[in-house]
Amino acid sequence: MATVQLESVSKSYGNGPLAVDSVDLSIADGEFMVLLGPSGCGKSTTLRMIAGIESITSGQLSIDGRVVNNVPARDRDIAMVFQSYALYPHMTVADNLAFGLRRRSVPKPEIARRVREVSDLLGLAPYLARKPSALSGGQRQRVALGRAMVREPQVFLFDEPLSNLDAALRVNTRNELIRQHHRLGSTMIYVTHDQVEAMTMGNRVCVMNAGRVVQIGSPLEVYWNPADTFVARFLGSPPMNLLELPASTATSGTGDWCRASNENATVPLTLWHPATLAPYAGKQMIIGVRAEDLRLGPPAETTSTGRLGWLHGRIDAIEPLGAETLVLVSANGTEVTARLGRDVSARVGEAVTLSFDAAAVHLFDPVTTKAIARER
Amino acid sequence: MPGQVASGPSAWRRLFQPGTGGDTSGASWLVLLLFLGPALLVFGAMIAYPMARTIYDSFFTIDDPDKPVWIGLANYVTLAGDETFRRAVLNTLIWSVAAPVLDVGVGLLLALCLFAKVPFTRFLRIAWFTPVLLSYVVVAIVWLWLYNYDWGIVNVMFRAVGLGGLASAWLGNPHLALGSLIFIDVWKWAGFNMVVCLAAIHSLPSEVLEAAELDNCGWGGKLRFVIVPLLRPTLLNLYILAFVAKMKVFDLVWIMTQGGPLWSTETVSTYVYKRAFAWNTFDLGYPATIASVWFGVVIVTVLLLNRLLRSRERVEF
Amino acid sequence: MVSRALGRGGLMAILVAYTAFAGFPFLWVGTMSLRTTTEIAYNHYGWPSPAHWAKFRAAWIDSAFNTYFTNSATVVIGSVAVITLVGAAAAHCLARYRFRGNRLVYFILFSSIILPPQIVLIAVYQTLVEYNLYDTLWGLGLVYVSLQLPLTIYLLEGFFARIPQDLFDAAKVDGYGDFEIFFRLVLPVGMPAIATTVILNFILLWNEFLFAVVLISDDELRTLPVGIQRFMGDHFQDIGMIATGVMISVLPVIVVYAFFSEKLIQGMTAGAVK
Ligand SMILES: Nc1ncnc2c1ncn2[C@@H]1O[C@H](COP(=O)(O)OP(=O)(O)OP(=O)(O)O)[C@@H](O)[C@H]1O
Ligand SMILES: [Mg+2]
Repeated sequence: MATVQLESVSKSYGNGPLAVDSVDLSIADGEFMVLLGPSGCGKSTTLRMIAGIESITSGQLSIDGRVVNNVPARDRDIAMVFQSYALYPHMTVADNLAFGLRRRSVPKPEIARRVREVSDLLGLAPYLARKPSALSGGQRQRVALGRAMVREPQVFLFDEPLSNLDAALRVNTRNELIRQHHRLGSTMIYVTHDQVEAMTMGNRVCVMNAGRVVQIGSPLEVYWNPADTFVARFLGSPPMNLLELPASTATSGTGDWCRASNENATVPLTLWHPATLAPYAGKQMIIGVRAEDLRLGPPAETTSTGRLGWLHGRIDAIEPLGAETLVLVSANGTEVTARLGRDVSARVGEAVTLSFDAAAVHLFDPVTTKAIARER
Repeated sequence: MPGQVASGPSAWRRLFQPGTGGDTSGASWLVLLLFLGPALLVFGAMIAYPMARTIYDSFFTIDDPDKPVWIGLANYVTLAGDETFRRAVLNTLIWSVAAPVLDVGVGLLLALCLFAKVPFTRFLRIAWFTPVLLSYVVVAIVWLWLYNYDWGIVNVMFRAVGLGGLASAWLGNPHLALGSLIFIDVWKWAGFNMVVCLAAIHSLPSEVLEAAELDNCGWGGKLRFVIVPLLRPTLLNLYILAFVAKMKVFDLVWIMTQGGPLWSTETVSTYVYKRAFAWNTFDLGYPATIASVWFGVVIVTVLLLNRLLRSRERVEF
Repeated sequence: MVSRALGRGGLMAILVAYTAFAGFPFLWVGTMSLRTTTEIAYNHYGWPSPAHWAKFRAAWIDSAFNTYFTNSATVVIGSVAVITLVGAAAAHCLARYRFRGNRLVYFILFSSIILPPQIVLIAVYQTLVEYNLYDTLWGLGLVYVSLQLPLTIYLLEGFFARIPQDLFDAAKVDGYGDFEIFFRLVLPVGMPAIATTVILNFILLWNEFLFAVVLISDDELRTLPVGIQRFMGDHFQDIGMIATGVMISVLPVIVVYAFFSEKLIQGMTAGAVK
């Protein structure tokens, strides 16, 4: 059991650019932390620095309060599951499981006990005498997992351990991992670029981009309050729709309210104080609306919960997915995707109006692309 | 000898890449030294040092190993006028150029025969490879008998078919001796080249051959337009391999003809050996000069060949 | 149709002819090894009847074949073992560690593969004389190691570099140090390639002649190839006896070949197939 603390940790390979750029991350004891990000953003590098396989260029890494920058991997008491499994091809499953324990002078009976326990738990008992080459992908995956588990380490590290599995097996193993986390209660750091894994497994998610941490938070927090347009588009499928519209102030019976609009769209910005938005008056704002928040049809005038936004456009394509239908609408050159119900009567080429609730609107600074926090 | 050279496109490409994948955390120098040290030690002591020393020796007369006498470039001057050396260089170059063409050519033809779906392919492949395993000493003894004037199989067969006039003293005739030796070399090495060519043919994408079939290519066409061009890297690699091996040919010549008759089979290796150990001249300086010059020749030719190889490679990919 | 059948027949004729060409010399020596010289002189191409198996015993006893054998085995097995270990360590180092000069070392070793060994022959001879290693199996073994080391490193480096880095990282996380990784991971995983180089080196050194003839002068220390040459000299006209000696020297290789032909072919062609 241990905490893991990264303080402005950076890494550059050779004289190259920073692969990891001053990452600050603090992982609590027993937490399941997911590192999420697109390919090449430095997730593996971060994980490998924590493991001690890669040297740290600058910054400080501590495990359980102890600075371990210069502690070799073997003395860090961590276990790692690799994307390629990295099973030793010349050893049987049993030897693969025991290999890490032998080095640590664990007594023989104890090794045997732990190997038996873990192999029972993961259903590996029938394969103990086989070589990895005689196992299926899923079985190999479980051996890799078991090899980490027998070690009973302070920290578990996973580098995209499920990406080589087929869809069904992936769901099973995912659930298995969640169960093991509950059972063991160990600190786990899990790298993935699959947002479903990130959403379902993590206590917290750390979204990375281009070597930097963009946002850290619980999965739903990151989904509902993305810190910037990158996170907004990276999480969610289809990604959040982004529109660029000029901000302005309108007056009506209930007083002044802010909106962003042009002739084809109006977005009510009622979640923000007019005072906050005053500096942006007249500027192009980035507006985000998730696909599932869009509805087909013009806004009914008589809603009580405030105002509705709308936008006009023409249907480019309709993708029926069975349980739902994705409708691609081009509005003023911007492509917008709406996630609608099963039955959509619209046709391709038809002019339509999409409407949405003011509460579904996300607002981003046009220059920094950072989210402007909601205030109501 | 087989596998003595391993130049090839992939080898060169890897050479100019930065580091190979691997440990970036910088292992300690002690670890590197323990891994690499023994090899470097052997290399330094047994390859680099002797090479430097050979060149150094070439400026001396060394009648008595303890008292070398400095003679400057005199050895080189002598060598420039040395008829035997010139003959040896010529013979070695004939070996190096002609024998590889025959080795590789016959090997390729044999491989094509086996590729044509004949029965017993596996057996034939193993049988034809056998001569490679025999030492040159054994090969030499056996072929001395096969070439025997009175009862060697070669002459016996000529006489049997009524061509007794062609029966000759294969190793005793200065005009025939070198060719007879090269013939043995082909006998020994064709099977080796066959195996490599066969492996390369089998690794050709089968779609290409099928496409050629659809284009109504006959065997000749397929061979000329598809197989040989696609195999060119392999063939080139085999050629260079054989070329370098022939630059050092010694065993076969030494045991069968000792360079005779009349220097007609003398090679650089046998000449170096003779001057150093077999003649009663007791001078190690002069053979060191021969070796040094030959060292230069080998380096230049190999560099030229590699240039050829690399420019070809660019066409290839 | 006819031309096809003709082509087929021609092909078969070529196959049979070449098989005879490749195999005849060896079979012929085989028959002669079982016949006496008198019988051979009467008809060089007769079948051995009766087969004189006793000739093998006579040849073995009469000459120093057992000495030659022991010498060859000692020096070849010893140097192949050293080459394998030293070469594998160097290859692993070049394949796995990044350090300044890595590619330079690789390049130098790679270049020395092409050097004809007779260039260094004289200097090696002088050096061994100076260190009192001339005319010893130690000296010959050392030279053999240097002869085959560059090629071995080259072949193994290519294979080791293809072992996935993840395996090494996993072993490191499992707590293993540099040397344990080499002995417990690289050597076992690299076994197929190592076996290939072992076979290649074994055959080449078993047949080596030039250095064996220059660096050894004591008859008690001769290796097999030089021994047979001696044997041939001693039995100048005794063709039958020489044939027996030749067979004795060839049989081990042939027996090994009969059992491991594929692996042997693979080993011998390792440097050329790319
Ligand atoms: N050994 C290396 N040498 C040089 N650059 C490297 C090395 N390993 C990774 N990089 C670079 O560092 C950056 C981050 O790589 P990293 O492997 O951490 O990405 P990742 O987030 O794990 O991506 P993926 O999801 O594709 O695995 C990349 O730009 C990559 O090119
Ligand atoms: Mg990665």
